[in-house]
Amino acid sequence: MLRYQENNELHMDFHGTTNTTLNYIAENYGVDALKMILRKTGHDVYKSIREKLEKGDASELIEHLNWFFNREKGRYNLSVSQDEIIFEVLECPAIRHLRKLGLEPSEHVCLQTECVNEGMCEGTPWKSSLKVISEGHCIQTFKKGE
Amino acid sequence: MIPSDHFVRFYNEVFKFLDERNELEGFYKEIGKHQELHCYQCFMDKGLDGMEEYWGHIRVEENCVSSSEIIDGVRYSFMNRCPSLSKVLDCDAEPCEKYCLHCPGWVIPLLTKCGFYYASCVIDTKEPRCRSFQTEDRDKASAVIQKWIDDGFNPDLIFSNIDDFETVEANKKFRLDRLQKKEK
Repeated sequence: MLRYQENNELHMDFHGTTNTTLNYIAENYGVDALKMILRKTGHDVYKSIREKLEKGDASELIEHLNWFFNREKGRYNLSVSQDEIIFEVLECPAIRHLRKLGLEPSEHVCLQTECVNEGMCEGTPWKSSLKVISEGHCIQTFKKGE
Repeated sequence: MIPSDHFVRFYNEVFKFLDERNELEGFYKEIGKHQELHCYQCFMDKGLDGMEEYWGHIRVEENCVSSSEIIDGVRYSFMNRCPSLSKVLDCDAEPCEKYCLHCPGWVIPLLTKCGFYYASCVIDTKEPRCRSFQTEDRDKASAVIQKWIDDGFNPDLIFSNIDDFETVEANKKFRLDRLQKKEK
């Protein structure tokens, strides 16, 4: 069950504002400050996902990834095993929309994914990692440790 | 990716970070500049009708419970359930006390640039409702703001560009001259 169940109209232009915000914080306060804010977003906003991960339950994380990438018509493959979740994004809806708006994706655009995922996993047996393959194509991995 | 649905909850974290440093203003200006991409041409070319068009589209996409009307050269907007603050209040992270201030924060520089007076009456920063107006008439702008104060709204939560009338008037002249040239 998702903590934030969103099913109304979508305002994709928020990706543009996110892009501007990523650049603004990095340019004025440094990349470490941006990472801190993004990790805190993952940790605090997604408390419900994190608390379930703490108990070894990845169900809300999986539902979150499926729900929002489907809503934004992203193309992806999701594979789930007992101790590993591999989420391969084949076409990132955020980057697709930035291009549609004529905006250059921030050099920190993938950092949002990396740090928010890290924040969600903080203090849990799960570790996240991100491998960027090309623009809009990445592999997000969540692996359960000891 | 932070889903577009969750952007405002990220925004809230950014506001808290900036507010701790007393540096929200610079960010509002940056967002105002970004919003020019969506609004500047529309407002410059179509004036209040352009604002109705832009914010009408926002009303649907952002799921606002709001209404607006243009009466005698003033566009009035009534936000009865702001989806943005509603999400921030429905969040496991603490809300930024100044969350509502971002709206006048980015709209004021943009509308000043377009040569329009604007005021927003936030009512209460913990309630997802507010009211605002746009007009190119300084006397009408002053009258609406005075009425809000007479009606008992907190003057500290009324934000406007009325004091920057010299800039608004200069930009209004630029806009009207530009429109006249276009018509020729």
